[in-house]
Amino acid sequence: MTTGVITPKTIIPKSGPLAQLLKASLTARLLMPVFVIFIWYVIYWTLDSRIFVPPHEVAQFMWAELTLNTLLKYGSVKSNVYEMFGITIFRLLTGFTVSMVLGTVIGLAMGLSKSVNAFFHDWVMAILAMPALVWGLFLGLVFGFGHQAPIYACILAGIPFVIVNVREGVRNTPRELFDMARAFGVPQQQITRNVLLPSLMPFFFAAVRYAFSIGWKGLVIAEVFGSASGMGWTIKFWYDAHRTQGVIGTGLFFVIFALVLEKVVFERFAKRAFKWRPQAGDIDVVEEQFLFDPTIEGAGEAEYVSEEGING
Amino acid sequence: MADIRVKNLHKEFGVGDDKVVALENVNMRVEGHVFVSIVGPSGCGKSTLLNILSGIETASSGDVTITQDAHDANPGYVFQAARLLPWRSVMDNLLFVQKERDDAARARCQHYLDMVQLGDKGDKYPGELSGGMQQRVGIARAFSIEPDVLFMDEPFSHLDAITARSLRRELHEMWKETKKTVLFVTHDVGEAVELSNRILVFAKGGKLEDDINIDLPYPRDGADEAVAVAKAHVLKKFEDLDLVAT
Repeated sequence: MTTGVITPKTIIPKSGPLAQLLKASLTARLLMPVFVIFIWYVIYWTLDSRIFVPPHEVAQFMWAELTLNTLLKYGSVKSNVYEMFGITIFRLLTGFTVSMVLGTVIGLAMGLSKSVNAFFHDWVMAILAMPALVWGLFLGLVFGFGHQAPIYACILAGIPFVIVNVREGVRNTPRELFDMARAFGVPQQQITRNVLLPSLMPFFFAAVRYAFSIGWKGLVIAEVFGSASGMGWTIKFWYDAHRTQGVIGTGLFFVIFALVLEKVVFERFAKRAFKWRPQAGDIDVVEEQFLFDPTIEGAGEAEYVSEEGING
Repeated sequence: MADIRVKNLHKEFGVGDDKVVALENVNMRVEGHVFVSIVGPSGCGKSTLLNILSGIETASSGDVTITQDAHDANPGYVFQAARLLPWRSVMDNLLFVQKERDDAARARCQHYLDMVQLGDKGDKYPGELSGGMQQRVGIARAFSIEPDVLFMDEPFSHLDAITARSLRRELHEMWKETKKTVLFVTHDVGEAVELSNRILVFAKGGKLEDDINIDLPYPRDGADEAVAVAKAHVLKKFEDLDLVAT
């Protein structure tokens, strides 16, 4: 056994401009892509493969696509990236809208009624468990290569998440606030507007993000296997042509689109809707983590913890 | 003048073996500008009584009438936790419970916010306020509808001793000024003696066991001999009734 003197560590406060720059979360955010590109180059140089392309070749490809200097015009449908992107966005918005409307109605009903919940519960779980690939193949076979298969795949992929989130929102409505409103004799219409809807908002936001991000994944898979147009089909085109830069670059177009949408639309709405939260300043960081990684369990399921104690 | 009459009030929860009697044959009457505390151990039906009086819960049997000069009275409620809408500003929380949301209502809300010393916090969200401030908003909200009777359910039990003490003083001043009828649930005998004219003692099983008048001048301080004696007297009644929580 050894004995010794524990010396307290001296913490030197870092407060210079460089230290502050290094500590800023923006710096960390910007460093991440630099780091990823560096690793990408390291792998490229190590592999020495003709198929594994370096970042600059992907960038060149994307630029060529944007300037319509593309091989895509020699494809079976003679198109360009704008047209394909437009088709996919049309399908995504259609599928997204349907899953939001239908999912909200079913989720509300399931949250309010035990028997409706019992009726739908297993089916929601079954749809949730079915791989998007199966939907893509199945719907492609049934509906052919038009718009229908990708749209239905988008709906089927996204809708269970909308249903589950809306249902949880209804189940978590703050009862003590309804009691308060009733004790003061507030009319039902005011209660709905000022208590019910605001309490559902965090769950609704989570539902929107899931319907969008997971719906997109279902849609692309259906386009790869069951469509002759759209971004999924374009990715498949470049895969068949053995062009790695085409596969990655086409995917990146959507990633960029989604990030811009997140910044321009979602974040603004979230800031407005949740400005009452004490930690409103951190909300973009908290909410962002699950937008494109919905596999994180419980991510996006808003946690409304009542400050209410047990009212004995 | 407000008049609260409770006749043969009975309330039970559950059925069969799970049946729990919360209130058993309660008869009481409270009228005029009085501050009445309802004390008793946990689970004696204090909060249930208040919930029935304010219409949050319904009675299993019995009659409850709350009138103001022979008309239906307008009740206000202060809860154990503030129960504010976290997504609405302090001012909007007060406006939420108003019948009309006109300039007069806004001025009235501002008046009561001033009264609880939060006049400048109207545009803050509840999450930006401390627990004591939130409870003050809850009190201002109840007063802002200018109720005939005010029901308060252990409003200070979540707060630290110093905050609770200063809020008790504010509440007493507001009661004196506005001449409301207050029904105040608490398990703190000291608090009840400090604030009330009258203390109703409930026993486990929801029976009203005693009705004690506290005839002491205000302001009362727990350190004053007369207040300490009155407190000891109520505690003795507790012991006699074997009500001390174990």
